[in-house]
Amino acid sequence: MQKEIAVIEPATTLVGFILISIALIAYVIFRPEITMTMVGKILAFLSLFLLPVLAALMGANTYVEHSKTTGFCLSCHEMQPYGKSLHIDDSEYVPAAHFQNNRVPRDMACFTCHTNYTLYGDLKAKLRGLRHVYVHYLGTVPEQIKLYTPYSNRECLHCHAGARSFEEGATHNEELKRIVLLKSNQVSCLSCHALVHDVTHLNGLTFWREEKR
Amino acid sequence: MILKTGMQRRIQIAGILIVLGLLVELGSLFSPRPSAFITFMFVGGLFLGAGILLYLYSLVVPGRTE
Repeated sequence: MQKEIAVIEPATTLVGFILISIALIAYVIFRPEITMTMVGKILAFLSLFLLPVLAALMGANTYVEHSKTTGFCLSCHEMQPYGKSLHIDDSEYVPAAHFQNNRVPRDMACFTCHTNYTLYGDLKAKLRGLRHVYVHYLGTVPEQIKLYTPYSNRECLHCHAGARSFEEGATHNEELKRIVLLKSNQVSCLSCHALVHDVTHLNGLTFWREEKR
Repeated sequence: MILKTGMQRRIQIAGILIVLGLLVELGSLFSPRPSAFITFMFVGGLFLGAGILLYLYSLVVPGRTE
């Protein structure tokens, strides 16, 4: 079930690309008369149009990739209890068990189970993401953070569908069609696997300490 | 003395706007926070977009020598 961890490349290439663009633009700014020649026109087109557009696209791509990381989600203090809940030393807690046993890549733990959240969701979800940034800086953060829509089984099934433990599991096949109802999202996985991010009761729990290897 | 045309002046302004946009984008790339992404998209994007549009405008509108 362990997914290949997507490595986010350091932005060195992009930084170099931006610096080269700036150097070329500076040349055009200080010697605008070169745009009277054919070579100058090509240089101006490259430096004032093509390179900046490419730099912006590469930068946006770097950010979108980075936004999949657990560190990105937990960079807002509102999310930190949810990050802490991944370290609960109790295998009954579904997110903690997944995180600690590498059932999800640890550096993309949030994204793996919330693939339709904010930046990765539809337009409505993206606008909610913008609203979250606004609320973080200028608004009032609600005491309890809830998902906008019920948790979809899709998030579980993109790994568990086809897995023997899911397909042949006694409980999943106990009643006729239960597995069909799970696959069609008519019965929630959370109706049985209900212990998830219980951030209101973190104080009385013990936590697993991850050893850096 | 080098005479600058209106087109060259606009290209210079476009260049300055684009450099500002690229500097904002460069600065925001070093921060992992969501607010940096917003800065990258909206502040950097605004300068870049304005600069690129001004450059394209300067190509289609004839300038006069100043």
